[in-house]
Amino acid sequence: MTDTRREFDQVAGLYLPIGVAVVVVIVALVVVMALRYRVRDGEQEPGDDGPGGRRRPSRIADAPRAEALYAAVLVCIAALLVWRTFSTEAREDHPRAAATATIDVTAARWHWRFDYRGTGVTQLGGDRTPPTLVVPAAQPVRFTLVSIDVIHAFWIPARRFKRDANPGASSSFELIFPTTGFWRDGGECSEFCGLRHAQMRFDVDVRTPAAYAAWLRQRRAAAGAVGAAGAAG
Amino acid sequence: MSATAPVARPPRPRTPGGLVGTLASTDHKVVGAGIFVTAFGFFLAAGVLALLMRSELAQPGLQVVSEEGYNQLFTIHGSTMFYLFATPIALAAGIYLVPLQIGAARVAWPRLALAGWWLTIMGGLSMWSGFLTQQGAADVGWYAYPPLSDMPNSPTIGTDYWIFGVILAAVAGMLLAASVLATIVKLRAPGMTMLRLPVFAWTQVVSCLMVLTAFPALIVAMALLFAQRQLGGVLTTPEGPIAYQHLFWFFGHPVVYVVFFPFLGAVAEAIATFSGRRWFGYRPFVISLLLFAALSMSVWGHHMFTTEAVKNTYFSLTSTALLVPAGIEYFDALATMWRGRIRLRVPMLFALGFLVLFLIGGTTGIWIGSPALDYHDTDSYFIVAHFHYTLFGGSVMGLFTAIYLWWPKVTGTMLRERLGRWHFWLTMVGMNLTFFPMFFLGEQGMARRVADYPRSAGWTTLNTLSTIGSGVIALSLLVFLLNVAVSLTRRVPAGPDPWGGHSLEWATSSPPPPHNFDALPPVRSFAPLLDRREAEQDRGDARGAVA
Repeated sequence: MTDTRREFDQVAGLYLPIGVAVVVVIVALVVVMALRYRVRDGEQEPGDDGPGGRRRPSRIADAPRAEALYAAVLVCIAALLVWRTFSTEAREDHPRAAATATIDVTAARWHWRFDYRGTGVTQLGGDRTPPTLVVPAAQPVRFTLVSIDVIHAFWIPARRFKRDANPGASSSFELIFPTTGFWRDGGECSEFCGLRHAQMRFDVDVRTPAAYAAWLRQRRAAAGAVGAAGAAG
Repeated sequence: MSATAPVARPPRPRTPGGLVGTLASTDHKVVGAGIFVTAFGFFLAAGVLALLMRSELAQPGLQVVSEEGYNQLFTIHGSTMFYLFATPIALAAGIYLVPLQIGAARVAWPRLALAGWWLTIMGGLSMWSGFLTQQGAADVGWYAYPPLSDMPNSPTIGTDYWIFGVILAAVAGMLLAASVLATIVKLRAPGMTMLRLPVFAWTQVVSCLMVLTAFPALIVAMALLFAQRQLGGVLTTPEGPIAYQHLFWFFGHPVVYVVFFPFLGAVAEAIATFSGRRWFGYRPFVISLLLFAALSMSVWGHHMFTTEAVKNTYFSLTSTALLVPAGIEYFDALATMWRGRIRLRVPMLFALGFLVLFLIGGTTGIWIGSPALDYHDTDSYFIVAHFHYTLFGGSVMGLFTAIYLWWPKVTGTMLRERLGRWHFWLTMVGMNLTFFPMFFLGEQGMARRVADYPRSAGWTTLNTLSTIGSGVIALSLLVFLLNVAVSLTRRVPAGPDPWGGHSLEWATSSPPPPHNFDALPPVRSFAPLLDRREAEQDRGDARGAVA
């Protein structure tokens, strides 16, 4: 199973402390150097350091061994980060779990459409209301994603994941939603797509598998009723 | 003593005065300063657009501009900053300073440089003239992905003007880079080998190399986009838009280093000068610059992690590897300060500010070099925060380092220290207040390029803080302009070398004469004036010992 949020947190758990440590250490060094080697106002003119006078700046201008050693340390840090990223990437790009539901996502300016494959159920928003993506909790959900006009991007911030929706080329991925809950505006388009880009959102409704199955049955029945009515008419 | 060698003085050209004379001058100092002022004007104009955007985002709802207007604002803001401000101003610094640093009397191909200025102006006029059309300026974002930027989706003439503007500015950049690079290759003073080039000149070398390799891809991308808009059938889905992204980012990533390195060079010169020390680790630094530039040509795919069209692991590897040359540059900066005699004058303050702010931009850059993290943060406000820490915290802080450092050389007068300190601290406060909250907004799910956000999202406080910060930045720039006005009206003569500089530009008068140098000191290292000063110190010590 690929819990994208957990993957994000695990990678961040390595990157963030290293990044913060680097920033803190270097900022501290900058400040310490600037204060420690600062010359005071009275001795600010550049030509004033005559013989036997004030402290002279060091003339050491390189330290090849120290710098090579330091570069080796940098390479090790880079290798550590890359190793962590690669091991995550392998899991995210090659999900092994068998998905229980497949949802075909269609992005269009400036709406989302969710088709629950094999059920005839479709989720669409209204003029002023975004659609709701209903998914079962704790089960891998497979998504296919395509756009019918410009490039959009399907982003669910709570899952720490997004993927571009390209016109004419379908993309697929798996997500897992560990906990039930309802997220208003829990999904959004994050690739600029024109006028109403900011309004291109959807709600995310994660239900227990039983509640999800019940919802799906109910929607199927409704869709069937509509279809039957259409056929009769 | 024979410390100076006479230099042949070329005949002074007869040139008309006034605006025509300026626009027709082939003196690299006139051309360089002209491009510099032009680009700085575009910086201020694009800054006004940013203030409008921040005003709109201060609160949820649409109060200041419409969505159409907002989309034009961020498109022209980003495009102006990259194409009309950052690239021209970085290269203008090279046009002005490189001949002075290498002991040359002129640039190679001054008419190309002059054409670069003209084309920059024309490109800017073309891009901005969209605001005068009925449907407004381009509104497709600074990278203008098709099919959004295709005619059916963006039928405005402003988008076509924008494409012309980008092509003109890109050609201008290539002409300027060719001129600077040829100057360095052909016109170095006797004794000035490539490994005696001042640090700033080296940063110009790598920037010019990247311009000449990356900008053609931009011109091709723009030409294809124009053909697609007018004729169709060029960038057809599904492959066309992805091909465009490759072409664009093959330019679009290197360009951020093009507009970064020269200012890194300025910071290096300032740190060395105001520490009274030779720039530390010159050779590793030059190697790291070249490595940085080479790597930067192979990282473009990290802009496309979420497209599934690139090998994410490869681009993650190359992007993360950038921390090695970047780390070497920080090592050299800190080692230069170590055991120095540090004078915290305004150029040095901006240089230190650069080190601190760019560090945040750089480390967050490594963060988003990891696809697992980028899947969340890309196209969110996290990215906006990240690249403003590199471009404002890095390039703009470096630009002000350069301005305060070389202003006395260019104008012959000093900027005021007290106003400069106000400028610096207001910039530091405003910059962090504006952009630091954006990291959290992005993490919390705020997408970039939105004119509005729901009140229920809870992003109002952070956005309001950011907007206040943008006002502080605007205030800091007003202080800077005041400093400029005071400096130019109540002149405090600078003299040839007010800071105790290291490189040749400080060996001539301020401002330099049209032919630059009457005489040149011998060049035996990348810091010939520091060599001379240290030799004098040693002689003084010897005399002291005898006495």
